[in-house]
Amino acid sequence: MQAAKTYGNIIKKIAPEHNRAALSMIKGGLFLEKFRTGHLMDKQIPKALRYLNHYAIGNVLEALKHPEKTAWVNLFTPVEILQCFDLYCLSAEAMSSYLSGFYMEDALIDHAESEGIAPTLCSYHKTFIGAADSGIIPKAAFAATTSMVCDANVNTFRHLAHKHRIPCYMLDIPDSYSPEGEMYVVEQLHEMISMLEDLFHQPFDLQRLSETLERENQSKQYFVNFLDASVGKDYPSTLTLQMFMLFATHLNIGTPEILFFFRSMYEEIQSAPAFHGKKIFWVHLNPYYQETLQRYFNLGKDYQLITTEMNLDYMDTLDVSRPLHALSKKMICNLYNGSFERKAELAANLAKRFHADGVINFCHWGCKQSSGGAMLLKETLRDQNIPFLTLDGDGMDRRNSHDGQIKTRLEAFLELLNQ
Amino acid sequence: MLGYICKYTPVEIFEAMDTEIVRIEPSAVSFTQADTLMHSNICSFAKGVLETFGETDYEGLVFTTCCDSMRRLYDVLKRRFPEKFFYMLDLPRKVNEFAASLYEKQIRDMAMAYADFSGKTFHEEKLLEICRRKAESSRLRQSPAKEPSLRIGLAGARPGRELKNMLEDLNVEILFDLTCTGLARNFSPDSTQPLGSYSYALLNQIPCMRMMKASNRIKFIDGFRDRLDGIIYHTIKFCDIYSYEYEYLKNEKDIPIVLVETDTTPQCQGQIRTRIEAFIESLKISRGIARQKPDTGTSRQEDRPMYVLGIDSGSTSTNAVILDNNKKILASSVIRTGAKSADSAQRALELTLEQAGLKREDLSRIISTGYGRVSIPFAQRNVTEISCHARGAHFLNPDVRTILDIGGQDSKAIRINDKGEVTDFVMNDKCAAGTGRFLEMMARTLEISTEELGPVSLQWKEDIDISSMCSVFAESEVISLIAQNKEKADIIHGLHKAIAGKAVSLLKRVSPESRYMMTGGVAKNAGVVAVLEEKLGEKLFIYQEPEIIGALGAALYGLEDMKN
Repeated sequence: MQAAKTYGNIIKKIAPEHNRAALSMIKGGLFLEKFRTGHLMDKQIPKALRYLNHYAIGNVLEALKHPEKTAWVNLFTPVEILQCFDLYCLSAEAMSSYLSGFYMEDALIDHAESEGIAPTLCSYHKTFIGAADSGIIPKAAFAATTSMVCDANVNTFRHLAHKHRIPCYMLDIPDSYSPEGEMYVVEQLHEMISMLEDLFHQPFDLQRLSETLERENQSKQYFVNFLDASVGKDYPSTLTLQMFMLFATHLNIGTPEILFFFRSMYEEIQSAPAFHGKKIFWVHLNPYYQETLQRYFNLGKDYQLITTEMNLDYMDTLDVSRPLHALSKKMICNLYNGSFERKAELAANLAKRFHADGVINFCHWGCKQSSGGAMLLKETLRDQNIPFLTLDGDGMDRRNSHDGQIKTRLEAFLELLNQ
Repeated sequence: MLGYICKYTPVEIFEAMDTEIVRIEPSAVSFTQADTLMHSNICSFAKGVLETFGETDYEGLVFTTCCDSMRRLYDVLKRRFPEKFFYMLDLPRKVNEFAASLYEKQIRDMAMAYADFSGKTFHEEKLLEICRRKAESSRLRQSPAKEPSLRIGLAGARPGRELKNMLEDLNVEILFDLTCTGLARNFSPDSTQPLGSYSYALLNQIPCMRMMKASNRIKFIDGFRDRLDGIIYHTIKFCDIYSYEYEYLKNEKDIPIVLVETDTTPQCQGQIRTRIEAFIESLKISRGIARQKPDTGTSRQEDRPMYVLGIDSGSTSTNAVILDNNKKILASSVIRTGAKSADSAQRALELTLEQAGLKREDLSRIISTGYGRVSIPFAQRNVTEISCHARGAHFLNPDVRTILDIGGQDSKAIRINDKGEVTDFVMNDKCAAGTGRFLEMMARTLEISTEELGPVSLQWKEDIDISSMCSVFAESEVISLIAQNKEKADIIHGLHKAIAGKAVSLLKRVSPESRYMMTGGVAKNAGVVAVLEEKLGEKLFIYQEPEIIGALGAALYGLEDMKN
């Protein structure tokens, strides 16, 4: 870890004057990490997760090497369509997390704030803006975002598209479902597709999209089966790997590689030994770098994380015969859309279904949609007698999480679970 | 009576149902309840509404899906007051036929829901009549009689009534109100399709920042360029979406702009006033608008020397300077501000007079500045500390272009031109991070006096990073460093680096240029100065008594008054 910090400090030092060199160093660091995850990873980590880690790093590395074949996206963009144009999907959230892995988030956040961007904005967005505007990541060929879930999406992408002159499509997703709303989004998907056809001189293949959605359906089925089968089983992971799951459930869902990953995961759990510790269901993002949480949950013998509800934000089967309608519905009916009550109920149901001993909700700095509902979630879980803890901090800016505060709360909660 | 929040709310629908509906403006003084029921990191407006809603007699509240904080406020209020009418209107972000028909359907559903709740009925003819009446009355509205001194545009998120009153008092005309609540409700729906055309007109107004095509806003502003003197950009703490447009206007448009951030509590009034007045002062100077000849009180006598006093009533210290008509500093004093700023000002006045060997009646003019400037009874005029610092700095060293002032409870960066006029400024007065108060707190934790911080820190050996910017977090970080037996000098050096880092990012927001001058109490700390100089790559200009620059500037304003 010290090596990554020193390496990151060098990048930060040279970045203001030598963007290209900084980018080469980032790519070099990711290349080494790709090698490490391919050959030297801890054998305690389940094989499927090692595969995912290796694949995800390779994916970001390719996106940085081939900006002309890359789209900047958010976590909820319908990447299935972009895959049909052979584009790499680099999400603002994922790229920021990698940069934070190099301990660079502070300098990039400061860069964005000194431009005038609000300090209270989500750190993922600030880091990505800082990285793009200071020129250390190459500009993509296309950008696409959705309006749903998070206020920052539309504004961050508009800012980036304007500043770096990137063709950008923004999907407006209604907050609740209606047949008219579904058509409204389908129309927009058509518009985005024709924009992509013009930009990349490639006709859109609807059949290919249907096949992608078919793989997505299978992947999600394997994932749910895995979660059901993992009750009472030992399946160690780390906070970072838990975040990598978003690569599988969102950014690369529908690819053959991700289908392979979920299938391997499901097969692997069949022969997993029994687990006698406590299992925690996580809500929202996690601060993967946080030392106390790492100590308890990374390859934990006593405590393991089941998953975060973000990975299960839409689990209905997609209608592959009407792929655009299916994607439209998927976005409108996302768990994060609509009232918070719906989300709280579902979180409670999932925690019960997967036999969680407790639920931890993480309020990420700048995330109004999740912080604002923290108390509603608490009330819902309390009514159902599910032990619950809320932690405040930052998913990636180390300056906004305080170990002392997290440690006391977490340890008290774990003591309570063991009573 | 119903409340509403957003300018896209179809208030005329409710009026057509004979229901009064008003835009809600909370007046919470603290967020104790809201912090518990929601979270402290939520938009202050949402917290304010939650804090005060229980005390009002609204029968309900109409929301739009305007932002995440509002979506959650709706969820929380609905749970807390199940008997009231809360409605979430799903507002599209695009304006096209699809979006308009979607919005029309939403509005129709809303009218039905309210009809169910209230037993009233909605008729489209009534909607037409109300819209017609409103359009008529907006035509009759008269333009202001007095010629305004300046014309500014208002943009950003929901400024309170006070901000507009303040501008009116300063005789400033608001050319346009592009805030998320500024809308002259002037629609003319088509009588063949009243609701459809009304919905479209409502959706098709000048967009707010949550809409997709917000670039129209810039075109709108450009349309005023020939008349526009500057823009006041208002944002609310934890409402982030307007900062993007502020960034754009500031960095890409050549229009003077000031950012005013508030948390909707009445406690912000002083902060708003300082920023607005300083901005208006700088605009007037750059527009060459002469100030009115002041009332000098007593008649001037040319044969006897003239003395003026500048007094800077800050939150931590009260400073005073006496100048003679040759701009010579005769005396200056720096005292701690006590519980009552007027008493401290009186003491500073007496002390400085005594030092100069003068009597109260020898002073021809007294100008006040600083946070307490309006509550000094013996001052004849007040000027903001921004303008005074600029004036004082330029007087002491005409090469200075960028001023960094770190005082007890706030810090500011001021850009001035070769004439000493303010061209830009930013302030941090919301939290203790990066101020003298932060250092005082840390000194206490380290059991050392504030005066010792500088000299001790210069002995540092190990380079420690204090990662937390927040003073509360930083304090516990310092405690754990003490527990690790780290050297005091190294810890203090780390703290100084944190302060300097914060100061540099403040400076960066005003496009800083050499030479730099540092003012305020923290400029006496050699440790902070050393780290800053290293970060900036050049020597700072620091006056022997860095705390009196504001008072000196005020005194210079006094001399100028006497010459006019």
